[in-house]
Amino acid sequence: MKRRNRLVFLGLLALGTLVGVGAYTQQQKPLDPFEEAMRQRQMYLETFGVLPGELFAEEGKELFFRKGPSGKTLEECDFGKGKGVLEGVYAILPKYFPDSKRVEDLETRVYTCMQTVQGYKPAEIKRDEVKAITTYIASFSSKAKIQVVPKHPQELAMYNLGRELWYTRAGARDMSCAICHDQYAGQRVRLSPVRSPKQGLGNEWPAYRFEEDKLYTMEDRINFCYESIAIPKPEFYSDVHIALTMYMLAEATKAGHSFEELPFFTR
Amino acid sequence: MKRTAIVVGSLVLLGLGLSQVSPFRARLEAALHAGGHEFARVMLSQDKGQALCSQHRDKLPADLIPGFLAEQKALIKYPANGKLMGDWKNGEKVFTDPKRGNCYACHAGVASEVAYGTMGPSLTNYGQRGTSEAVVRYTYEKIYNAWAFVPCSLMYRGGVHGLFTPEETADLVAFLLDPESPINRR
Repeated sequence: MKRRNRLVFLGLLALGTLVGVGAYTQQQKPLDPFEEAMRQRQMYLETFGVLPGELFAEEGKELFFRKGPSGKTLEECDFGKGKGVLEGVYAILPKYFPDSKRVEDLETRVYTCMQTVQGYKPAEIKRDEVKAITTYIASFSSKAKIQVVPKHPQELAMYNLGRELWYTRAGARDMSCAICHDQYAGQRVRLSPVRSPKQGLGNEWPAYRFEEDKLYTMEDRINFCYESIAIPKPEFYSDVHIALTMYMLAEATKAGHSFEELPFFTR
Repeated sequence: MKRTAIVVGSLVLLGLGLSQVSPFRARLEAALHAGGHEFARVMLSQDKGQALCSQHRDKLPADLIPGFLAEQKALIKYPANGKLMGDWKNGEKVFTDPKRGNCYACHAGVASEVAYGTMGPSLTNYGQRGTSEAVVRYTYEKIYNAWAFVPCSLMYRGGVHGLFTPEETADLVAFLLDPESPINRR
């Protein structure tokens, strides 16, 4: 889709969202947020014939096949199952990569390969581009069974680090991930249902959030959580995101969960 | 003699071990710094209570509980005028404000507000407890520092962290207990 068409389209989407959210907050009884998301999704499909997340994936596809300063595209990057393989890679990440000697989630892997394979400098890499590429690659793991099983010593260390962060209570609201997402899983914060990793927490990102009219990756979602508990959000591609993702998805793996349709459509 | 030497030697080794930052702790701190200056600053400035709750995964061993409760109780400050029940109208503002009380995140309050969380007990009609000195004092202290009653509970210590002042805490108490407050009206 041409950029101009996309802008018009996104404008219409934003308008639709405003109308939708208006109706949503004027109800007497609280709506089930998931039912509301499904209703909105249906509305987008009927009105536009395409979901917003698909546009991000489409943009990501163009960027994936764009040549970098080195003349290479991201086809030359190993995302976990060998060069050029995208099918199911999102479902096995984060994992250890011998070339970077680091455990990486998909977003960090894209960021790494844009530098090491494509020759971009860190300052040249736009966050929105990494998000779009991540969404494109994740779409190849739509509804895939989550298979994050730490085995390499660095993966095990990352899992343990993630578990420690999960339980760390800090900031002016005395919060940790665990205090809501373990002890009170199944309850609501205002109208938002809260899930635990054992209930599949983390299986819906990247997703388009109609309430925010934005695409959220897992790292975006972790940052949103930290900000809402009065802890400044960590920098992208840090071990904080990778460790927490490793912990949550390893626990979701043990409980036998699969990803949603990716990119997902949510509230 | 030999036994004493072994005991002393072990104690020295133990002391050395405890005085070093463990490799795991060092790794954790490195990750926090990787998250950026602001993130690391907040995550590394846990107070003693937060550190204990994290360490024990929010379930304190029984022998630590009395000391913990006493320390938390000592953190509670009171309004200069000594009145623990203030203005319910301002209390409602603090209760609702996401940057201050943010109480609807977890509690039901005024019956007409439907967007409330369910992690905490409903506070609708909280005032049926009456306004005895004991009820007012308990309500004040619980709001100011919840951990003085339940160690490591989800409810944050809004007063301790300055999310609201002692006077605003008294306003919150009034919002919950005043018979005129909408939380107690049908």
